[in-house]
Amino acid sequence: MPFTFIEIEEQKTRRIWVFFLVLLFLYFATLATLLAAASEALSLPYGTFLNTRVLLGLSFVSLTAATLHFCFSTMDIIRFLHDNLAAVKPDPEDGIHQQLLNILQEIQVVTGNRKKIDCVVIPTLAMNALAAVDLRGNATIAITEGLLSRLTRPQLEAVVAHEAYHILSGDCLEATVAASLFGLPASALEKLSGTLVPDFRLSPAFLLAHLLLKLSQLLNMFISREREYRADAGAVRMTRNPLALAEGLQRVSRSWRGIGYIGGGLEMLCMVNPRIRATDESEGWWANLVSTHPPLRNRIRILAAMAHVGLSQVIEQTAPRKRSDGGDSSEPVFYALDPRHQWQGPFVLSELSILPWMSPLTWISDGGQAVERAWKIPRIGQAVFMQRLAQDQKQATGFLCPSCRQPLLEISYDRTQVYQCHFCGGVLVENAKIARIMARGDAVYTDRVRALSKTVMKENLGKRLKGPAEPLPVETEALRICPSCKNRMMRTFYSLAYLVEIDRCNYCGVTWFDPDELEMLQCMIVNKMAADPLEPSPVG
Amino acid sequence: MAGWILLGIVVIAFLWFVIVYNGLVALRNQVQNAWKQIDVQLKRRHDLIPNLVSTVKGAMEFEQDTLEKVISARAKAVAATGPQDKAVSENMLTQALGKLFAVMENYPQLKSNENVMQLQEELTSTENRIGFARQFYNDLVASYRTKQQIFPNNFLVNMIRGFNPEQYFGAAQADRAVPTADLSLRAR
Repeated sequence: MPFTFIEIEEQKTRRIWVFFLVLLFLYFATLATLLAAASEALSLPYGTFLNTRVLLGLSFVSLTAATLHFCFSTMDIIRFLHDNLAAVKPDPEDGIHQQLLNILQEIQVVTGNRKKIDCVVIPTLAMNALAAVDLRGNATIAITEGLLSRLTRPQLEAVVAHEAYHILSGDCLEATVAASLFGLPASALEKLSGTLVPDFRLSPAFLLAHLLLKLSQLLNMFISREREYRADAGAVRMTRNPLALAEGLQRVSRSWRGIGYIGGGLEMLCMVNPRIRATDESEGWWANLVSTHPPLRNRIRILAAMAHVGLSQVIEQTAPRKRSDGGDSSEPVFYALDPRHQWQGPFVLSELSILPWMSPLTWISDGGQAVERAWKIPRIGQAVFMQRLAQDQKQATGFLCPSCRQPLLEISYDRTQVYQCHFCGGVLVENAKIARIMARGDAVYTDRVRALSKTVMKENLGKRLKGPAEPLPVETEALRICPSCKNRMMRTFYSLAYLVEIDRCNYCGVTWFDPDELEMLQCMIVNKMAADPLEPSPVG
Repeated sequence: MAGWILLGIVVIAFLWFVIVYNGLVALRNQVQNAWKQIDVQLKRRHDLIPNLVSTVKGAMEFEQDTLEKVISARAKAVAATGPQDKAVSENMLTQALGKLFAVMENYPQLKSNENVMQLQEELTSTENRIGFARQFYNDLVASYRTKQQIFPNNFLVNMIRGFNPEQYFGAAQADRAVPTADLSLRAR
């Protein structure tokens, strides 16, 4: 190690100015290049723009642009993080969340209440924490549910102290500013490049912007690696408990730490890098250059040395204990694709059952090549979905949902009995009851249902005008199976006026509505949103 | 020439005086503020204890002795004034509470009681806050004392009044003693 904790702490950094200067330079360089290109294009003599007045003007414009960029990009960074990570305020009714609030208060006490710090909880099983500050002085610490539930109180306290140190020392502001200056445009560009036509990606402007962004990202990384060591030292100074932080870090290092998609460049705000990379665990000039986080092993070793224990002791302390209830360690684990289309896991069955987004249609992998819908794996069906039904004290019927393959529940819909799937929300209605339900339709529907109805109507009108008005030709395999008689159902529009696709069984006279379809149909009928082929946009 | 040098020395001495004096005043105020912060946390603890006692009283009728000790220690702590006196009485209260928590472990019905769990978390948090506030206070006292005692500030402090060395908020001897555990499984 080139420096001790004391030395690291004493290094006062004022790098925000450096960022600003880099930004200024980038703007200046870009504008100068554009000017040169313009003079080339207009075939003006070489050096037309090379005089003091033009250079001054260029400097002024780039200064203004850099200042505006600086102010605007760093304004809303905290809200951006909240929105992107679906973070929520801690629930004071919840014991664990209350503990987090208490710990935050304790940390404020130890720092002499120097700054008001908020905290939020990120609803994921991953273990990670991050801190963000904006130029307006708002400070937030975000902790994942996984971290909250798996760390002991002293460990959690050390982690919160670590994040609080980032905020109090000012290096968090520096990192947040760096992230929002270059990271946000980078992630915007990433998104843009996904949606635009391929030709645009080859244009020189795009390539230049991309190159500049990559360069500036590299710069961020180069100068922000040691801040984690500093924050560790600060946390120890606050809690006087290096062992708890070492154990906490060791736990985090052993488990999964992704916190969902944050966007380019913002990873540096996290306690441990959510994207695991080989350079993070190595030293040397290249690793220092490209990595935002120092080797975890190193951090743990330093902390353990402060507590006068060896690294092996920390590892032993935090090793998962063997279950005493006879549960074997070879319990099968699964990976699940979350609603943001990212693989999460590994989870054992009991962990799968508490994932809020877990449904029978979730894609599941056992770590091998095979990927299946959750309902196709009998073990999961038993352990997760049947248990959920039992927990909610729902009385299952003999009918199976045609998409989730889970028992349907008998419910009352507009005061008549229908069968609904607890998981996907689809509804099975006997044909005789459909007219009743339509007649009882309420004139008030949510904006979502109204908007959905309009879109579906417009889309299906186009479909119908193009093709025959007969039942859509579909391969038999793709047709739904009737929950009642197990024959294939017919996929058709409800009627020629109300173009909602439904699945109808011609053998036993029942109709299956996918989620929202029943409401959409009611909404169309009550609001008279009938399809008129002569009018391209029937509902305005 | 000599006059200029003399003037320079006087100006430097005056500047030094101003800087050191202002620094000491700022630190003194910070120390006083930190002391008040401890007070806030101690008050919080005193307010929580009656709640805890009344919640666990029903289940712990055979532990009247422990409960009474907590109550009397709290009464003493509330009445105490000044760092020394407070430190002693608060340490007694900490011990009495520690004993109560240890005894509470023997009552499974208390551990499953949400109210008790919540109160216990609140008290744990308060204990930590007191510890942290004390740590912050002691750190400030240390730097205040250092600033008074280093050369040449010590001359200045001796010349003018108003900067007394503040007291540390220390842990009692009993806190540092190794606890003895009774493992004889005697019936209580």
